[in-house]
Amino acid sequence: MKASLIERAKLRGIVHWLLAIAVLLYIVSGFGITQYRAVEAVTFGVLTKELSFRLHGILFLPFIVLLAFHIYFTVLGRKRGKKGK
Amino acid sequence: MGGKEIFAVIAVLLLLLGCSGDGGAIELEGTEILEYEGQDLSSVNAFRENSIKGPQHIGIENYTLEVTGLVETPRTYTYDEAVGGFQAYKKVVTLDCVEGWSATILWEGFLLRDMLEDAGPNPEANTVILHAYDGYTTSFPLEYFYGEDILVAYKINNVTLPAERGYPFVLVAEAKWGYKWIKWITGIELSDDESYEGFWESRGYSDSGDLNESFFD
Repeated sequence: MKASLIERAKLRGIVHWLLAIAVLLYIVSGFGITQYRAVEAVTFGVLTKELSFRLHGILFLPFIVLLAFHIYFTVLGRKRGKKGK
Repeated sequence: MGGKEIFAVIAVLLLLLGCSGDGGAIELEGTEILEYEGQDLSSVNAFRENSIKGPQHIGIENYTLEVTGLVETPRTYTYDEAVGGFQAYKKVVTLDCVEGWSATILWEGFLLRDMLEDAGPNPEANTVILHAYDGYTTSFPLEYFYGEDILVAYKINNVTLPAERGYPFVLVAEAKWGYKWIKWITGIELSDDESYEGFWESRGYSDSGDLNESFFD
């Protein structure tokens, strides 16, 4: 039981961090589309507008899935917290 | 406020910043119309600035528009010659940008086909390459201009095209993605190089730029 809780806490942490990374990449790639001249200059031409488009499109699904897990873990955590009280 | 909250606030601010328009209204010579024959039009300010080097401010006194390449008679027009030398047409056409926004505008200009006919395309010509003042290029199959009435516009919503929208001339590339709507046109080159790739096309965008297809190759 305790081991399962620790595993769940670890998983929750991973999901939260992955979501944070996904959000960051989503925003940066969004800027890579709308402000591509600046983003290309800042990233030394690595993040081009074309790459940004592809990244932005690819990230959509993982972002939604991670967000759903993030909400699930958060709600679950709050329920457990209330029960604990 | 904890680290998570700060991160969330920064993320939301960045999102709002990234999704906002360019702001700053453009000064126009005259009053633009926002309705034409019962159809609502977008404002001149409804566009996002996404050109490769920012808006170009072209001095019209030295400006020329050249028709070169595989033509019988290469031509060079001043602004007044191009505007006054061909039949004018008006048309409401929607520009759809790959970034997800669109603008429905009343365009006024001449048919590119008329200018091509003035120069006389050679029989081997099959591609039209358009050049812009900022070095941007894009290309079309020659038949595109004969199958449709494609305008080279000098007016937008009844006012002279402002620099931000492509003054002196912008191509109204109907049924094509926005990156085919070349602004600040300085040259029209006829070629037999069907594989020519323009600025965005050489960076992975579709050559045809057809609206009913993905803009990626």
